[in-house]
This record gives sequence, structure tokens and C-alpha cells, in this order.
Amino acid sequence: MRKLVFLALVVALIASLGVACGPVAAPTPTVKRVLVGFTASQTGKLNKESKEQIQGLQLWLEDVKKAGGIKLKDGTMLMPEIKFYDDESLTDRVQALYTKLITEDKVDFLISPYSSGLTQTAAVVAEQYGKVMITTGAASDTTMEQGFKTIFQIYTPASRYLTGAVDLLQKLDPTAKKIAFVYEKERFSTDVTTFAQKYAKEKGFDIVLFEGYDTATTDFAPFINKIMPPKPDAIMGGGHFTDGTTFAKQLYEKKVPVKFVAILVAPPEPAFVEIGDAAQYVVGPSQWEPLARYSPESAKAAGLPWYGIGVADFTSAYKTKYGYEPSYHSAGGYAAGLIFQKGLEEADSVDAEKVKTALDRLDLLTFFGHIKFDTAAKTHGKQIGHEMVYVQWQKDAAGKLVKPVVWPLEGKSADAQLRKQ
Amino acid sequence: MKRTWPQSFLWLTLLIIVAIALIPILIDSASLREDLFLTLMLVILASSINIIMGYTGYVSFGHIVFFGLGGYFAFFLMLNYQVHFVLAALASGVGASVFAFLLGIPVLRLRGAYFALATIGINEAVRSFVTNFEPFGGAVGMFFNYAVYDAYGGARNALWFAYYAIVAVALVTVAASFLIKKSKFGLGLMAIREDQDTAQVLGIDPTRYKVLAYTCSAFFPALAGAIFFFKNGIIEPGPAFALLRSIEGLVMVMLGGYGTVTGPIVGAVVYERLRAFLITNPNFSSLHLFIAGLLLLVIVLFVTAGVVGWLRQRVPLLRRYLE
Repeated sequence: MRKLVFLALVVALIASLGVACGPVAAPTPTVKRVLVGFTASQTGKLNKESKEQIQGLQLWLEDVKKAGGIKLKDGTMLMPEIKFYDDESLTDRVQALYTKLITEDKVDFLISPYSSGLTQTAAVVAEQYGKVMITTGAASDTTMEQGFKTIFQIYTPASRYLTGAVDLLQKLDPTAKKIAFVYEKERFSTDVTTFAQKYAKEKGFDIVLFEGYDTATTDFAPFINKIMPPKPDAIMGGGHFTDGTTFAKQLYEKKVPVKFVAILVAPPEPAFVEIGDAAQYVVGPSQWEPLARYSPESAKAAGLPWYGIGVADFTSAYKTKYGYEPSYHSAGGYAAGLIFQKGLEEADSVDAEKVKTALDRLDLLTFFGHIKFDTAAKTHGKQIGHEMVYVQWQKDAAGKLVKPVVWPLEGKSADAQLRKQ
Repeated sequence: MKRTWPQSFLWLTLLIIVAIALIPILIDSASLREDLFLTLMLVILASSINIIMGYTGYVSFGHIVFFGLGGYFAFFLMLNYQVHFVLAALASGVGASVFAFLLGIPVLRLRGAYFALATIGINEAVRSFVTNFEPFGGAVGMFFNYAVYDAYGGARNALWFAYYAIVAVALVTVAASFLIKKSKFGLGLMAIREDQDTAQVLGIDPTRYKVLAYTCSAFFPALAGAIFFFKNGIIEPGPAFALLRSIEGLVMVMLGGYGTVTGPIVGAVVYERLRAFLITNPNFSSLHLFIAGLLLLVIVLFVTAGVVGWLRQRVPLLRRYLE
């Protein structure tokens, strides 16, 4: 009997060891949904820029899903999803929609609407609910100088938008002395040109004209008539895509004899080429360009960690999906998602406070450029790492219009050219 | 004193508004609060336009100018002189009314299309002035530091506070619309609407009546503007003087039924709810403007008296009960 019990125990032991040592099924990682909400200008005057931004964000989402999600240290996979509504390019409904996103749709994180005005309105709601909001497509300095605690800006602020164009002009033609500023009378363009004008004065330029035009202006003849008499060397200004494009076209048609033209927002857009020869020589500040030279190597050289997709991979994936080259609005959309991703990984949690702390600490280089947020109480979340690049439409050897990066010098892919009539 | 039906109708209408306005407070729903805020803001705009358009027969295309001015006056006072929001809003209402009074004297001499065009011109002129007026922030506009809301118990409380304020203003606007309609003054306005020359023969001073109606109709949109931009934390010339919102106000009045008290309320509620539904519905989100436009076209073509007007025409009994 004792032998029988002993035998049974041995068999049980062997059996249990067999179970323990046999092939073990890998534990299924926990998948947790992370909902990112925002409003988009699917209709209204901001439709074009906003659409590009959403497409960029959607591409990021696809990439994350292909990778199986965002992995936390405990093996949990965060699977982001997006939820958005049309804000009609108006502030009217922005607060209502952001409140709906937070309280009804229960989004975990937010992305800003396109444009500074709409973003400011949304920020009031995001901040009161303690929701982390990445702002993209919003470059206003003033929005980020209100002591917000949970708002983080991706774009280079307006105060540094056109200052590089002033430097470029000085480098290109040291004899240039006179600049005329003609800008759209709205928040963003006025902010940008006011800062640029101040900077140009500090650099020794004379401001021969500083005049705004109404939004939706289509006839720039009165402004061109004012530009001509003081004979400026350069014209800077513009506003958004439609007016900027029209302004450039009419400057060309009226044969305005200036050496240098820098216009906001419109030139970096691939569709700017549709105005043909009028696009040639026009310089435009851009938050990002397909020819931007951000790479793991440049990160190493700058002593920064590199994160995420490469410039060429992003450009190629975007072209494959949408059939045309991405603009900086598209890249801004992707970058917003990417920074969230990094924030979640660094925080190793979806807790808003931990993600906020992780974002505060970020200092890295991505395909979009250097990202670092200000942590001072009054300017918390303001972008202090990212720099603008400047493109210029030029004709290549085959006579085709292309837009290489011409400034800053260390990132240029072609030399800038003075305008010829 | 025995209460007459029209008085009971007023109390019933106000009671319905209060009952609906209480829902987000009772269930603590910020999302519903935001929806109702917008709806009540449009009720105020439509009811105010109705005073000059529905009762007096003067189509004010640029009525949004008072909304924008109210927002600017209040914002300026709060930002530069730290005036409490309620006082700033009231001051903005008075300011806009004074502006309307002074403006009304010359402008209300115009009739029909000339008046309508003049109101558009006024809105554009004021927008252009404000865009170049540095004390109001010029093209950049004005914005609050987030800390401003601390004086109202933080941003979350401030948004509730703005909601209570808009409910109060909506109640007062509806009451004023009713009282004007039922007063001798209102009868005078309607006489002017039907035939100004005959009204004059009957002893009505058209200019005085019209200017007074215009002044009244400017007060409430200014309060709504003050509340809306306080809540937004930012005011810029474009959104403040958006002509589209003015035209939407006219559409709401037409949709509900002009010249009635309930018409603008119904019009504002239907229009706003329809738009909100279409915008947030995944199947219609990109078609909302098309669908809204189509529906409005059908209503304007086939229900010219508006919903309330149509009901009053079809059901004679309702003429006694539906104001």
C-alpha cells in the first residue's frame, strides 16, 4: 500500500512538473483603448489647412495600429482612436463640442482645432477639465502666455515665424534696406508681422509700409499702389492660403519691382504651384518641409534623442495614402500624434498628470524638428525648441517649379535667389 | 385680479424655458449645458431681431453689430478696469442701446431694401473700425488670462455662471418681446409695419416708435455677446461681427414665424438643434450645410408664415392661445 501511495505521489509530481515545464501559451497583452478627441474645420474658411492636419493625424493613427499600439512597460498595449466633429471654422460651437468630447464621448486626450482663435476657445474647456491638449496649427504666442497647465504647443510661435525671412534677406542682399509689410488683419498674421517688423527694425531695416487688409480680400491693387512709391526692397506679409496666393499672383501680374517676397502660409502648400510663374522666387516660412534634414544623425549631432518616423518615410507614406506631397499642416497633424505617443510611453500611463509631467520633460528631435516645451508658469507649454524653415519656389534645370529649403543655412537644400522680373 | 390668457401664456412660456434650463443643472451635464447655452443665445438673437423685423417690419440684416459691440464693451471693461462680469454686461447693453438710438434716428428714415442695406453697411463699418481701434485690440482682438476666471470660482464655475446669465437674459428677452407685442407701443409698431403713412395719420410718431424699437432690440443681443465672449475668453472682430450669424437670426425668425412671440423661439430651437444634430452625426457631418439649406428652402417656399404662423393659420383655435 505504501509503495502504491509513493508511486502515485511520484506520478503526480512528474505530471505537475510536466505541466510546469511544458509549452506555455504567451500571455495576451492587455489592449486598452485611448480616445483622442478634437474638432476639425471640415467646412468654412479653414477647411483646407484643417483637412491636411487631420490627414496627417490619421496617418499616425494607422502607423500606431500597424505597430500593434503603444506599448507600456507592463506589456499593456494602448490602442489610440480618434473622435472628431466639424467646428465649421467658427468659434461658436468649439466649446460645446469640446465639452461634448470630454463629458459624453469621454475622450482621454485632446488635440486643438486648427487656428489660434479656435484653439484659445478650446483651451479654456480643456484646461478646466485637466485634459492634456496638444495644439497644432496654432502658433499664437498670446494663447500660450496665459498660464495654461495642460496645453502644449507643437508649432514655432508667431513671434519667430518671419524673423528668419528678415535674416535671409539681409544675407542675400546686404544692401537691402526697405521692407513693406502687407498682412491680413486677423490675429495670427498681425501677431507675426508685428513681431517681424520689430525684428527688422532692430536689424536696421526701414519699414516703409505696415498695412493690413481685410480677411477675404481679393483685390490687392490698392495695396500694390501703396507699395510702389516708397520703392521697397522686399515685401513681407500675407495671411492664409487663399489671400496669400492671390496677393502673390497680383504682385507678379502688376510687375512689382521688389527683390524679395515672403508670404505666410500659402507658399509651403504644394497647391501654391497652381499660380504658375507667379510662384517663382516667393519665399514662405514653413513649420516643416519634406526636404527638412532631421534625422537620427542630426539628432546625435545636436545631442538630442531621436524619436519616431523619418522625414523620407513620412513623406513617402503620406504620398502613397493621399496621392500628393504633405504640407507642414499634414506634418503638424502627424507630429501631434507622435508627441502624444512619446508622452504616453514616457509616462507609462494614461494618467493625465503623468502624461503632462512627461511632456514637460520632453526634449527630442523628430521628423518635425526639435520639440521642447516651456515649463515656466506664465508660458507653460509654449514651444521653445522648434524652428521654422523657409522655402522658395524656384525653377529646376527642367524649368519645373520646385520648393527647396533655402533657410536656415545649415538646413538648406538650395541657395536662395533674388527676385527677377 | 383675474389673470388673462395672454398673461398666462407668458408665464407658461417662461416656465417651459426655466424647466428645460434646469435639466443640465439637475443632472450635472456640462455637455447639455453647452447645447442649451447656444440655443438660448440664438433665442435671444432671434427674439431681438423679431422686435424690429417682426413687429415693425424693418429687416435688420446687420443686427449682429449689437452682439459684437456688446461683447467688445464688456470685454474692454472687464479686461482694463476689472469690472465684474454682470456689471460689464449690463453696461454693454446700455452702450449698445445708446449706439442704436443714435444710429436709429438717421437710419430708420430709410425704408425697405435701403434700410436692410444700411444695416449691413453699419455692421461692416463697425467691424472695420474695431479692427483698427487699438484700445479694443485691433485686428488681434482681446483675450483673457485664464486666471481671470478665478474671480468667479475658476473656469468651470465661470462657465456655469455664464449659463445662468444666458438663461436669465433669455427669460427677460422673451418677456420683453411679449410685453412689447401686447402693449400700446407694440400695436403702434405693428401699425407702422402694415402701413406707416396710415399709422402716422392715426397719430403715431413713426420715427419715435421705430427708434425706440431699434433701441430695445439692441439691448439683448449686446448682453448675449457680453456673455458669449466672456465664456470664450477671446474676442476678435471676425467672430464678433459675423454677418452670417445675423442672417441665421433672420432665418430663425422666418422659420418660426415672424411677428409672433413663440416664432423666434421655435425657429431658434429647430435651427440650432438641426445643425447640432447634423454636425455631430457621422452620416451627415459633411452634408450638414447642404441638408440645413435644403430644409430651410422648403420651409421658406412652402411655409412662408413660419411654423407658428402656419399652425395659427391651420388651427383657428390656436390663434387665441398661441402668441
